[in-house]
Amino acid sequence: MMATRTAQWLTEAPALSSERPVTWPKRTKTRLANGLEVILAESHAIPKFHGQLSFRSGNAAVVDRGPGLAEMTATVARTGTKLRVSRQIEEDLRRIGADLSSSSGADTTGIGFAGLSELAEPLLGLVNELAREAAFPEPEFERERRQKLEEVKLDRTQPSFLASERLRKVLFGTHPYAIVAPTESQVVAYKRSDLTQVYQEFYTPENALLVMVGDFDTAVMMKSVEKTFSAWAGKRPAIKTTPEPAQPKGRRVYLVHVPGAVQTQILAGCHAITRKHPDWVKIGLTNSLYGGAFNSRLVMNIREDKGYTYSPRSGVHALRQYGYFSVSAAVRNEVVAASLTEMFYELDKLRSLPVPEPELADARNYLSGVFSMSLATQDGLLSQLATVALNDLPDDYLETYREKVRALAAADLLATARKYFDSANMQIVVVGDRAQIEDQAKLFGDLEVYDAQGQNLT
Amino acid sequence: MNRNQIAMEYTTLANGLKVVVVPDASAPVVTVGVYYKIGFRLEPRGRSGFAHLFEHMMFQGSANAPKMQHIKLINSSGGLLNGSTHYDVTNYYEAMPSNALERVLWLEADRMRALKVDDENLRNQRDVVKEEVRVNVMNQPYGGFPWLDLPPVAFRNWANAHNFYGDFADLDAADLADVQAFFKTYYVPNNAVLLVLGDVKADEGVALAQKYFSDIPAGAPPPFADPREPEQKEERRGEVEEKFGTLPAMAIGYTVPERRTTDWCAMALLDQALHGGRAGRMYRELVLEKQMAVEADGGIGDIFGYNGPTQMVTRILHKPEYSAEKTLAAFDAVIREIQEQGISEDELNQLKVKWRSDYYSTLEGGRGGMPRYGLMHLLACFTLFDNEPQLVNSILDGFLAVKRDEIQAVARKYLRPANRAVVFRAPAKANVKEAA
Repeated sequence: MMATRTAQWLTEAPALSSERPVTWPKRTKTRLANGLEVILAESHAIPKFHGQLSFRSGNAAVVDRGPGLAEMTATVARTGTKLRVSRQIEEDLRRIGADLSSSSGADTTGIGFAGLSELAEPLLGLVNELAREAAFPEPEFERERRQKLEEVKLDRTQPSFLASERLRKVLFGTHPYAIVAPTESQVVAYKRSDLTQVYQEFYTPENALLVMVGDFDTAVMMKSVEKTFSAWAGKRPAIKTTPEPAQPKGRRVYLVHVPGAVQTQILAGCHAITRKHPDWVKIGLTNSLYGGAFNSRLVMNIREDKGYTYSPRSGVHALRQYGYFSVSAAVRNEVVAASLTEMFYELDKLRSLPVPEPELADARNYLSGVFSMSLATQDGLLSQLATVALNDLPDDYLETYREKVRALAAADLLATARKYFDSANMQIVVVGDRAQIEDQAKLFGDLEVYDAQGQNLT
Repeated sequence: MNRNQIAMEYTTLANGLKVVVVPDASAPVVTVGVYYKIGFRLEPRGRSGFAHLFEHMMFQGSANAPKMQHIKLINSSGGLLNGSTHYDVTNYYEAMPSNALERVLWLEADRMRALKVDDENLRNQRDVVKEEVRVNVMNQPYGGFPWLDLPPVAFRNWANAHNFYGDFADLDAADLADVQAFFKTYYVPNNAVLLVLGDVKADEGVALAQKYFSDIPAGAPPPFADPREPEQKEERRGEVEEKFGTLPAMAIGYTVPERRTTDWCAMALLDQALHGGRAGRMYRELVLEKQMAVEADGGIGDIFGYNGPTQMVTRILHKPEYSAEKTLAAFDAVIREIQEQGISEDELNQLKVKWRSDYYSTLEGGRGGMPRYGLMHLLACFTLFDNEPQLVNSILDGFLAVKRDEIQAVARKYLRPANRAVVFRAPAKANVKEAA
């Protein structure tokens, strides 16, 4: 029975009651005869549904033809089909209360969409049309290219962009993952025929995954999917071999000079692992202890204790072929060296001393709880299901994830930190005003200096 | 049409704390929020940015949960937490597996009852807030544009017109006495609403609210500054230098009708007509058709979340080869067209379907990994502003009833130069040269 009387002012936090299990939504996975993989999951909180049609190829696969070409293809693909001009597409989306986006990352291209359940069929129809019958009208291509030129210039004024661009270059060398965005001249060099070729190669059912989560009846939705997509045909594109990434040894420092910057963006990183690696859950937990949670050691140290920064964090970034670990913070100019010192102190501590059991238990609870919450919205569940499928993880990955987290011991974390938090070989990027921070930056390794355009100023 | 009705329990405790419980057992997680009716608008003069700085202080410790404990207790229960300061409310919220519900209620009650912070905490968070302002505003291209740039140009009442993130001198001047006075004045149960959404039964939620919050003493009703604006007679303009960005920018804000009026509903759909993404008239004309702008979007941000003068804002980044005046003229042509021609029945129907669809997404929408943030936010604002959380189930009706002529009428009545402010944010000279 629930107590209804007024309690005294409790001076200690109430204990946790026993955890309720996650009820897994009704979920179906199937493959159409044309190779299209389909995953449907029901979630009835609102009368809408969310979907994603993904292709297992992205910018990295065509970087030799032009950096960012897959992204440009995705952008122009929504601007016209054989049946509808751009304005018609946008108005039709509004007519059915839908949102749609198309974009391309390093490894994946996707059409994301969300709409009212009562109007699911016309939305699926439009998605199908964009995937199969995009027309790439010349004027739309020209307009999007001009638009992209301005965006590329704007990117170079963002400290966080400049930092991640430099880190990726340093970590990946000649591998396509080294390039996060095209230069202006590379955008100018795009041709419409490059886009249509990427479109023909990538946008095929054998290369595709359709995930939908929402307020629908699975059997009815599956019929709509079959009706809409089954006539589509196309092979999976050939996968090219790529050069090995760089393996930078020893700490080095890369300063990106932004005159007048009133703060310094720090980003340091090293190679790590992909989601398919058996150590993935271990590195996730180790990261959440280090700087992946508000309660983590790094946040408590450089934010809550020292007040150097508002926004410290660390993360493991899994691309399909390789992954990397990074830590970042935007700090005031006077404490660049002090912040880096603490970042390395906390890394080395995790590499040297076992995590005390109570702290480890807290971290296990954190990761497990946050995972449960990520399944509680339509787009959250969609993103989890898509991640599993696109990374070829086992079908029971989501169901067993929390058990795996709960099974980890202090020795696992120590081994994980020693293996992947490679503090001796971390590559350090600092984006800020050279005159204010160069002396501090060079304390941490050989220094190279660049401007925002990537010119070496050393 | 599926109308998505939300069942809730709404009650007020003897100390004035309002409590809203929305049971939903579909996932074993629960979202808790405490909203206080205090925001940027009401912070004391000479203490710009204080409401936000104070929000940070609420994470620094309370009588039985010293510094670090709030964050640690929630994270270690598998939960996430945050807070945010708005014009008229400040919120503190957590989402976690439902087995931690009592723990979170205890924490929120402990800090509502007795904030316990010292000078060291205040110095620490002042530093953190300054880095927040640098990372979001001072060291960012178009930082604070236009949410910090427009109010001082658009409004005359200090409550609406000051720097909400705070001048550094004001942040430095704030002391512990300010913190405790602010807490005592505004952070009383009778100025707050507690929300519990998710894996909890309605009667359990109310009983738990009683258990943890009912013996916190009520305070005097807080004083509220009058946020009303003197009548605006002509267009207002201002300029701000852009330190990093490469493109000239401008923002145009029109003050919107009073909330929950027929005009306000029509204005919301007019906003959708102008700013609804790529289908919106601004984006279509300025970016897609005339190709003068790289960005042209905006709207009435958080339409349910304010309780005083606010604006519908268009934010434009345009190509340097078009002058600011030319770009503004193109913007004006879009406004003029809708004033003269109105909109078609077909367009109105599209706007309504999209509005309804967006509304459902707002209700379901999470924030920072926390489910049901959107529903919580609406319930809280409707409770604090209207004493009527049930509005989440009926507010849509007013928007779906808007007629074509009402849209044209509000376009003529409110989209006038004398009801707007324009801020130009041009790149610094050195910057333009470098980009060329």
